Amino acid sequence: MIRRLWGRLGLRARITGLYALGGLLLSLTIALSTLTLARQNLTEDREERAFSIAVRNAQRVENGLGAETEIEDVGVLLDNLTITEGSFPLLQVGDATRALDQAFDADAVPSSLRELVEAGNAGRMRIRIDDRPLIVTGIPIPDTDAAYYEAAATDDVEAVLNTLGIIVLGVGAAATLLSAALGSWASRRALTPLAEVRLAAESLAAGELDTRLDPPADADLASLTASFNGMARSLEDRIERDARFASEVSHELRSPLMTLNASVEVLNNNRDSMTERNQTALDLLTDDVTRFTALVEDLLEISRYDVGTASLHAEPIDLVEFVRQSVRHSPYDVVVDVGERHHLVVAGDKRRLAQVVANLVDNAAKYGAGEIRVVVEQEHDSAIIAVEDEGPGVAEAERAVIFDRFSRGSAGGRRGQGTGSGLGLALVAEHVGLHGGATWVEDRPDGIEGARFTVRIPIGDIPDDEEWA
Amino acid sequence: MGTRILTVEDDERIRTSVRLALEDEGWTVEEAESGEDALNAFTREAADVVLIDIMLPGIDGFDVCRAIRRASDVPIVMVTARADTHDVVAGLEAGADDYLTKPFAPKELSARIRALLRRARTVEPGSPQMTFGDLEIIPDEGVVRLGGDEVHLTKTEFRLLVELATNPGRVLSREVLLERVWGYGYFGDGRLVDVHIRRLRTKIEPDPANPRHVLTVRGLGYKLQS
Repeated sequence: MIRRLWGRLGLRARITGLYALGGLLLSLTIALSTLTLARQNLTEDREERAFSIAVRNAQRVENGLGAETEIEDVGVLLDNLTITEGSFPLLQVGDATRALDQAFDADAVPSSLRELVEAGNAGRMRIRIDDRPLIVTGIPIPDTDAAYYEAAATDDVEAVLNTLGIIVLGVGAAATLLSAALGSWASRRALTPLAEVRLAAESLAAGELDTRLDPPADADLASLTASFNGMARSLEDRIERDARFASEVSHELRSPLMTLNASVEVLNNNRDSMTERNQTALDLLTDDVTRFTALVEDLLEISRYDVGTASLHAEPIDLVEFVRQSVRHSPYDVVVDVGERHHLVVAGDKRRLAQVVANLVDNAAKYGAGEIRVVVEQEHDSAIIAVEDEGPGVAEAERAVIFDRFSRGSAGGRRGQGTGSGLGLALVAEHVGLHGGATWVEDRPDGIEGARFTVRIPIGDIPDDEEWA
Repeated sequence: MGTRILTVEDDERIRTSVRLALEDEGWTVEEAESGEDALNAFTREAADVVLIDIMLPGIDGFDVCRAIRRASDVPIVMVTARADTHDVVAGLEAGADDYLTKPFAPKELSARIRALLRRARTVEPGSPQMTFGDLEIIPDEGVVRLGGDEVHLTKTEFRLLVELATNPGRVLSREVLLERVWGYGYFGDGRLVDVHIRRLRTKIEPDPANPRHVLTVRGLGYKLQS
């Protein structure tokens, strides 16, 4: 049970706990031995003092006692003794006793001490009266058949010991806390390299494949760093190999595609001389060659992002004119809504943004319904291009994955029948990302049912060198 | 004899299929499978349009382009692997008039070739001679003189200059020039204009870095002045 709880604690908590436990044990040991020694020394010292005072007082009493002295006459004797505060003398003559204070009378003398004294021996004993610690000294005065007892309160010793105990306890607690703090600090120091490893792993997971750990100053950590870096390197190699493979395959596909495209065109030039069966076969061939070509072109385009060779060719683009031109030759009916705006110039890559608009319109036409609207807006330092349709919209659950590659969505069979490459929206997201922008899908804000695919790109610094005009 | 097109492509299957498609357009096609082959064929008999794949074994497409350009102002179309690399600019600077990226549809190629052939014919007869300081343009004869000396321009450079000259002092945007010279729409590659303007300047400007005739109007386009 405890083991399980212990195991559930973090490494840092455990190290801190161990340090605190060590500190506690150490301070307890020191406290206990200090208190024991102090108690022993102080008590012995106190007893010796009480004993010597008692012996001196007994001497005086003995001197003052005559053979005929009656118990009634000893009051004067007792009054003349050196009585410190907390001392209680008691004189016994024959069977009679006389005490100076009610706090200590004959009944209070322990019988074992009395027996010892009556046997003619001096003795002392620790007792408690009303919870007050006392040391009782008994001295026989045999010549007059008397005995002198003196009780001395030792609560001053107790008080000192109590104070000492509190101090030692406080110091012990402080030492324990200090140990815990030391443990916490030491564990954090020891775990700092692990925090670096964690950050590096997160950065790797986020796609920063060239993340590496700096070689540590501490030789103990060198092997961890080395194996982490080794892992990162092989991961990077592997991912790059995969990306290059996809890129090379697409490149290799271009040559046969050229031949296919040209040959299909030659066949189409002579379509009229074919039988109907051959014409149908040729149409199928033409459609699929066209689709295959589009797929390979999209694959080539997207593999540039994977291989890391995609670079932005930014030029000033007036989005108002750009969007109008984009939809002009669109095979679909598209409404352009630019509000009152005449110009909205951004630094953009014309070829890529054209693909963004075309793919979004294509997506709206295939999976949406009703009127397709392309909206151009400005939002602070960004330009917004939004494509809206009047279709069923995109379910919340699909919104995050709809921009993934080959994600056709699950909205019935309709989306599955798409003739696109399945890379259209993924390319939109990649192109927009290259511009430093964002892409998302939401419900139409104007209350009409339908999806709104929104692209936000920073207006950016419009290049003003001689290169463009 | 009809229009002759020289295609330089090392992949035999592509070469053959493209030849068939171009022949369907009514053109005569001569094939070359290497740079050396192409240069020999071109020396033997000049073509009306040359189509060059950049990726060639031996002498590469850029060198073939430069060699042909030294000898002739024949329209050249480059075939590049990608649109977003320096290959396009390098090809245009080597002297190509236009480019296509693989895989392209032969219809697209025919359209490019037709645009180039249109450009190759001189401007409508009767166009007046134009003078911009020391720069003289005689559209009818396809001649440009700088300080009295004839300057040799390619057909595309000439068309570009005439477009700017017929609108003296007016700024023509890249899109307008792309449409009028190349027959592209709004989405044509602006680098075609930029590189050709650069080439034009090296030929008609005494100091191409500080042009006096062909000026850039930042954000708007280009204009010609005396």
